Amino acid sequence: MGNDIKQREGAVMILGGGITGIQAALDMTDLGYYVYLVEKAPAVGGVMAQLDKTFPTNDCSI
Amino acid sequence: MVTNADFLALEGNPGNFTAKLNIRPRYIDADACTACGLCTQYCPKHHSDPYNEGLSITRPIHIDYAQAVPATYYIDPSTCMYIQHDTCQICVPVCQSHAINFNQKPELRDLKVGAVILSPGFGKIAPEVLEKFSYGKHPDVVTAYEYERMTTSSGPFLGEIKCFSDGRHPKSMAFIQCVGSRDLGCDNGYCSSVCCMYAIKEALVTKEHDPEVDITIYYMDIRTQGRDFDAARERAEAIGIKFVRAKVADVTPWENHLKLTYSTLDGQHKFDSHDMVVLSVGLESPKDAKGISNTTGIELNNYDFCKTETFTPLQTSEKGIVVAGAFQGPKDIPESATQASGAAALASIILKTQRGKGTESKEYPDELSITDDDEVRIGVFVCHCGINISSVVDCPDVAEDSGKMKNVTYFTEQLYSCSQDSQEQIKQTIKDQKLNRVVIAACSPRTHEPLFQETLKDAGLNRNLFEMVNIRDHCSWVHANEPEAATDKSKDLVRMAVSKAAHIQPLPEQTVPVTPKALVLGGGVAGMTVALTLAEQGFESVLVEKSSTIGGNLKKLKNTLAGDTVASYLKTLTAKVNKSAKIDVVTDAALAQTAGFIGNFNSIIESGKGQEKKEQTFDHGVIVVATGGHEHRPDLYELGKSKKVVTQQELETNLAGRAKGRAPNSIVMIQCAGSRGEDLNYCSKVCCNHAIKNILKIKEINPDSQIIVLYRDMRTYGFAEDSYLEARKKGVIFIPYEVDRRPVVTSQGTNVQVDFFDSIMQEEVSMTPDLVTLSVGIVPDGTAELSKMLKLPTTANGFFLEAHVKLRPVEAAVGGVYICGLAHAPKPVEETIAQAQAAAAKAAIPLVKGVVTVDPIVSSVEQDNCIGCGICTSLCPYGAIIMEKVDKKRKARTISASCKACGICASRCPTFAISMGGFTNEQLISQIEAFGNKVVYEKVEA
Amino acid sequence: MSDNSFSPKILGFLCNWCCYAAADAAGVSRFQYPPNLRTVRVMCTGRVDPSFVLKGFLEGADAIFTGG
Repeated sequence: MGNDIKQREGAVMILGGGITGIQAALDMTDLGYYVYLVEKAPAVGGVMAQLDKTFPTNDCSI
Repeated sequence: MVTNADFLALEGNPGNFTAKLNIRPRYIDADACTACGLCTQYCPKHHSDPYNEGLSITRPIHIDYAQAVPATYYIDPSTCMYIQHDTCQICVPVCQSHAINFNQKPELRDLKVGAVILSPGFGKIAPEVLEKFSYGKHPDVVTAYEYERMTTSSGPFLGEIKCFSDGRHPKSMAFIQCVGSRDLGCDNGYCSSVCCMYAIKEALVTKEHDPEVDITIYYMDIRTQGRDFDAARERAEAIGIKFVRAKVADVTPWENHLKLTYSTLDGQHKFDSHDMVVLSVGLESPKDAKGISNTTGIELNNYDFCKTETFTPLQTSEKGIVVAGAFQGPKDIPESATQASGAAALASIILKTQRGKGTESKEYPDELSITDDDEVRIGVFVCHCGINISSVVDCPDVAEDSGKMKNVTYFTEQLYSCSQDSQEQIKQTIKDQKLNRVVIAACSPRTHEPLFQETLKDAGLNRNLFEMVNIRDHCSWVHANEPEAATDKSKDLVRMAVSKAAHIQPLPEQTVPVTPKALVLGGGVAGMTVALTLAEQGFESVLVEKSSTIGGNLKKLKNTLAGDTVASYLKTLTAKVNKSAKIDVVTDAALAQTAGFIGNFNSIIESGKGQEKKEQTFDHGVIVVATGGHEHRPDLYELGKSKKVVTQQELETNLAGRAKGRAPNSIVMIQCAGSRGEDLNYCSKVCCNHAIKNILKIKEINPDSQIIVLYRDMRTYGFAEDSYLEARKKGVIFIPYEVDRRPVVTSQGTNVQVDFFDSIMQEEVSMTPDLVTLSVGIVPDGTAELSKMLKLPTTANGFFLEAHVKLRPVEAAVGGVYICGLAHAPKPVEETIAQAQAAAAKAAIPLVKGVVTVDPIVSSVEQDNCIGCGICTSLCPYGAIIMEKVDKKRKARTISASCKACGICASRCPTFAISMGGFTNEQLISQIEAFGNKVVYEKVEA
Repeated sequence: MSDNSFSPKILGFLCNWCCYAAADAAGVSRFQYPPNLRTVRVMCTGRVDPSFVLKGFLEGADAIFTGG
């Protein structure tokens, strides 16, 4: 199968790029691993990006 | 980051998986697209916008929202005229950067990965379930997702709330809770755990838009069990939002209103009409749950969420695959973020041996040395920010004006200074023009300074030789109607920045080494999990326990709601901790003193009793606070006065015994005894589950036992709802009480009497049960002292406060300190374990890095000029300046890693011996001089 | 507005963490305010030496604003 991407050791795949996936990706990167964040939509962010404000302080969500 | 990708298959073993992906074409070259949006303007075809829940129209070629990452447009093939019908292609010539490419094909890609974290989120309730509420039949019945987009000021209606039917502003609104959750009709027996919160949020937001609108929330139980969540409900009630405990049967159109039919607890059927109805739809398992299960082999639970166990909440049934977020069970944002970090810790353990091998550290060119003798060459870049700045501010004028200034050897304008090509241009210009200072007039340094500093580093300049001017947020956006004044202001600000920039000196990067060891306070399940999770990642820790053995509250628990035996788990866990060579357990111990900062703490632990009392000193890099909590004992309801009144924990102990009458024939349980407004004003989250757990045990031992539960809201959120239902099926009677009509318990001799108002039968009842059990809540263990010692803020109720509820849920505001378990908030054991794993991930980050980088803008003392007065030391709020003896004279010295760069020391030093990196006296004075050196302000007609 | 109406020159010292952030937020929400302010960003208003204020007046400021 055509695949010219360099394969990396110490990599993790995170399936789903919502708030959970993004947070996990950031932490894995900080912990010294290479991350593939796989998202089915054209952009990461998930449902949280659709929210206006958040409970209970009504802080902005984006 | 791989977007637009489908996950096809997973092969191999933990440590060595191959994941197969299919990457769908975007039909737009991501590197070339500048996200200008011209294509969307020209695209002739309509496309219902899923980002706005279909409430607005976009085009097949679009971007979901301006802040989307990656910031690349894409073409939705389902409606694109070219892809569907081979016509059109209008977008291709429109695109100035030739980014559109219809020849893109799906790409299959293999990823070699050692571990997998599943975070696919949740799915949506099927529209059929919503039909009985007239959803889809009447336009004024909307889901909470749709309503969220309607209220958003950046949404399709700019935040104006209107009925779809006739455009009127609704005067009366209803929120219907538990739509698609706690509903066996659609096979979703569980509670979605978030809808009560978002409904209250949306109701509060609505009231902000229009205080006159009448809002009713129809609910069964309000489950605001999170820390401080009840306060929001009370706030909602205080501003007039009505809460009606009722089950809504249906919604039918009625003239231009909607008629709700609902039944209240006392069996009455009532009707009410509203202008708009919002359905609080639940969270369902993700659409591809079955697919993920098939490809990875992980087991699902009976609701198609990922199956996990109480004591391993983030571990799937397959090794090497962990789970986090709503796929593990419906949950809110803080819980999801916590689980994400916890899952990272588990994946980190799997990949331990490969750590650091796959990542590359970026190389920078050698830094250009700059001396005072060098000519100051400043480059000024003025950003148009598309039209955000240039539509108001005369950018060419601002740039030219700066060119007249001394030291400015180059100036230019850029469309987007932050874009990739502009960055390259800046780098090239720095080299070509031999610039040694850079001023960028664009947006806020708070968001963009790091980006431009990186550009400077790439060009071989010290990143501090940079000054940013905010001519967007502070000029064009706030003086939109006064373009001349905005331009003048921009010129002034640029002039001030240039004049400051002339005095900027390069600052050395400072790093401080980290002691690779953790101090874990508290030997309960949280502390043990932290220490073990760190040990398995390869880091040592000291585990400090105040009692004589580790185990904490688990020692008092017998089994979990899911039926696991606590004792055997505890035994395994303590054995692992005691055996681990990386964990140093100190019992009968407490933290006596601590000093230092992230990476370099030094603490004194007092341990032992009497003769064996001793003090040990430890150096460590991080602190994890897991000091726990305990059952509260209120002086209420005859607790401690009558033998027939016990707490849930005491009942659990009794039930595990062998005595005959351990499961009495008649029991009254009182929920929230002492909580939610009595001596504790919060909800303890676990008591409802604890009561249900004990009830099911009683029913197992003595099926004929008559049990009545007096409650305010049964908060058996998530999958615990199943157990609540089971208890109901077994004949347990649940009767809600109002806060102003709490039950009364009296004792006389050996008898105990409970008087309460039966809200179902609508009558006063008096009973003399065999046993009264109180659900009493949880209080934290001695957080006051620790809070002082570590400078950690607590909530009004004495729980430790995290740095940010959603973004940093396990980190304390103080660097290098992490919080988990009951010390943070009351929570059940599975949440404690996940949170402890998260704390272990976060605590491991500085330990992995080995160094802490200090922002070079900190204070520094010129010791030759220091007279040792000590004013700075006394004023520093962070204890970051110490006095030391140098040649027998007192001199001040900054501990860079503790310094937060506030500058109080510099402004108070009587001999100007203290300087702030990037904010020296010289720089600021010249900035002020530039403010005054020209009479620039011209009167503008307002 | 008549020509001789008073338009003060104001010099502001803004704390990076609160007041500067608030000024950014004002921009994001397109809140319009008079354009008389010129700002100096500091990491904390604790950095504001009293001499900076005097210097500001000397340089012709009609008012000094510190926000932190």
